[in-house]
Amino acid sequence: MATMRPARDARTVSRRDFLLMCAVASGVPAMSLDPRQAAGGDVPRKGGTLRVGFYIEAATMDPHFSGSKIDRQVYHNIYEPLVTLDVKLGIKPGLAEAWQQPDARTLIFKLRRGVKFHDGTDFNAEAARFNFNRMKTEPKSVRKGEVASIDTVDVVDAYTIKLNLKRPDAALLATLTDRAGMMVSPKAVQERGSELERNARGAGTGPFEFVEWVKDAHLLIKRNESYWNKQGGPYLDRIRYRPIPDDTVKLQSLQTGEIDVMDYVQPRDVAAVRADRSVVVIDVPSLADFAYQLNHTRPPFATRALRQAVAYALDLDQIVKGVWLNVGVPANGPIPPTSWAYDKTIPPIKRDLAKVKAKLAEGGQANGFTFTMTTNNIPINVQEAEVIQAQLREAGITMKIKLVDSATLLADGNGRNFEMISYQWSGRPDPDGNTYQFYKTTQGTSLNWSGISNPQIDALLDRSREVSSQGERKKLFSDLTKILQDELPMVFIVHPIEPKAFSPKVQGYEPIPDGMMRFKDVWLQ
Amino acid sequence: MGRLVLRRLGATVPVLLLVTAGVFLLLHLTPGDPIDVMMAESVDATVKENLRHELGLDRPLHVQYAAWMGRLLRGDLGRSIRNGEPVIENVSRRLRPSLELALCAMAISLVIAFPLGIASAMRRNTTIDRAGATFALCGICMPNFLLALLLIFLFGVTLRWLPISGYTDPLEEPWNGLRSLALPAVTLGLALAAVVTRTLRSSLLEALAEDYVRTARAKGLSEWQVIWSHVLKNALIPVVTVLGLQLGTLIGGAVITEYVFALPGVGRLVVDAVFARDYPLVQGVVLLIAVGFILSNLIVDVLYGWIDPRIRSR
Repeated sequence: MATMRPARDARTVSRRDFLLMCAVASGVPAMSLDPRQAAGGDVPRKGGTLRVGFYIEAATMDPHFSGSKIDRQVYHNIYEPLVTLDVKLGIKPGLAEAWQQPDARTLIFKLRRGVKFHDGTDFNAEAARFNFNRMKTEPKSVRKGEVASIDTVDVVDAYTIKLNLKRPDAALLATLTDRAGMMVSPKAVQERGSELERNARGAGTGPFEFVEWVKDAHLLIKRNESYWNKQGGPYLDRIRYRPIPDDTVKLQSLQTGEIDVMDYVQPRDVAAVRADRSVVVIDVPSLADFAYQLNHTRPPFATRALRQAVAYALDLDQIVKGVWLNVGVPANGPIPPTSWAYDKTIPPIKRDLAKVKAKLAEGGQANGFTFTMTTNNIPINVQEAEVIQAQLREAGITMKIKLVDSATLLADGNGRNFEMISYQWSGRPDPDGNTYQFYKTTQGTSLNWSGISNPQIDALLDRSREVSSQGERKKLFSDLTKILQDELPMVFIVHPIEPKAFSPKVQGYEPIPDGMMRFKDVWLQ
Repeated sequence: MGRLVLRRLGATVPVLLLVTAGVFLLLHLTPGDPIDVMMAESVDATVKENLRHELGLDRPLHVQYAAWMGRLLRGDLGRSIRNGEPVIENVSRRLRPSLELALCAMAISLVIAFPLGIASAMRRNTTIDRAGATFALCGICMPNFLLALLLIFLFGVTLRWLPISGYTDPLEEPWNGLRSLALPAVTLGLALAAVVTRTLRSSLLEALAEDYVRTARAKGLSEWQVIWSHVLKNALIPVVTVLGLQLGTLIGGAVITEYVFALPGVGRLVVDAVFARDYPLVQGVVLLIAVGFILSNLIVDVLYGWIDPRIRSR
């Protein structure tokens, strides 16, 4: 019986240490700190309203129906998952204070006592079971795929639940650190129904409570005065989220003090923002994996040698430097450097024009060939496509660029109507989320757009779900990465860094690589 | 006059039918699918199929159009696929900022264009006229987004007189509301002022060459009286036409300005809806924008009659 009981206070690694670590791992300068902040070791102060600028508005307040990344930014302050992530992507207790895995198909959670939803009802085993059942059976649930491995949920006692799994699923625990593990008040769900999508009053257990959402204007949350965790925050009185779609305007709003936090700084703006003493930039290494899927089901990329020719023709260092302005690191595969499963002994594929020549000849296209890349019509994608086009041209390969909007991109991908297509995955805390659904043999529509079907890869992926030892899993993912570099369902380009920018008066933000901004311990100077 | 209005209203029915059918067809011919956009990161094909079925997106196109029309005749514009809210709610939330912005921009353009246009026409080929022409050229050539960013840089970042982005309703907080609309209204108003100045100048010049102007001057009226009571009214028709056409564009087409200033207007709504392939929302908004255009043209026609009695009697 493997029992895990992580330290209660998982903040053993300070933000600086962590970033230093990431900087060492990734070879990029990790953060720029305003000296005033570095000096500010003040005692946290209660009060104030934090104003946050996001690029778009949230879509829904119901975590079980949410399909948009921006929603999660809000959820992580009003709802809480059973387990949460620490800065090293380790799992630490959330609403569950401990868990056990007696065998590969059973997961037992000991729930925290004395936790109340904002509407005053108790959080307990019945509430947790209600949530899992809702995710599994509600017709509009977007969580079904994430909880698919859960067969039934038993209430063992008032504060213990047992998940009975259909199959071993080593990635499930990490999945429960986000929306699939978030607990919503059963009373709020039953009383409000679909209205919950707009009004989450009383629905969460988190450090902040939902107040109001004036669509297209702002979303307001306030401090939960009776939050169960008495250590640290919440310090802020209120948090006000606002959509500001234009990046330049959002940045200027921060510089002039109209907002205190912005969710993402474009690589093109990073240098300028670092030079500005009225703004603090924090680089948050992400879980993301930006790549191009190659269609294995039709020429030219049905031929492995031609896929390899393209991979050897690319100079990733140049792309990351020239297009991403070093706000990211060259990718050796789908697993980001932030993950425990990242194998730094495997280098990214290096450019080698002699090899390209040999591979072109092997693929029967000694004089080069022509294909089309499909990508999003947004500036950084267009730049990247143009650099790739130029690099391929030097290697004798002609690439045409087809620019589309994201709905068309999804339609082309799902319909396998492409030769090479941009795929930008936001990433998941467990390496399973960056690999399984893309490389496992699947019938019909799936995220495996490339259509790869390789028994060796399938076996590795299945095995990685069955074994629970992290060391053993890491070895499996290393083997997988090596095979992927050879089989190339995707050419991997970059693991982007997601810089966030703050007003210097914002203190105590802890960057977790999932990019979510948890404001529990944040305070205003 | 009543007959004129009725006749114009009758003519709108085929226009609306054509617009909605055209938009419907174009949208469905565009690659992409609202369910894929909504569940981009989900692999569960059966969930997607169920949702598609529930929303009726798996039915043949003509059936979907007929169903939409049927609901429309009962006054129901349907629900947005993306957020599940009634289309009418989505639009009415966005209509107020758009209308306020359009009216402010129009007011700014009139305040600039009338003095400048009249001065240019009266002092033809002088420095004033050339300055007016230069202003108009700049106003017409300057892209919206550039002017917007320059204004933000000057008044928001450097001088810090006005907020950079966001919207406050002037009907709730008059001072802050007007401040939040100032920069976007100037952005749109300057370009419009440029067009109106030139239109007004040329139609004034044309009217100034008429016989009745000579008569008016001959009977000893001052130049101001000639302009004010004889020329201006006769020169207004082309200006009203331009303004009427622009009103529709300001309400539905100020996408870039709305985007830059983070204003929740109708233009951005329709563009976002197109990107999400939110068919009912696009349909509903386009229909309402078309109605808006038709109404503003109707107002223009009525104004014609008021300005020129000959049109009324026709």
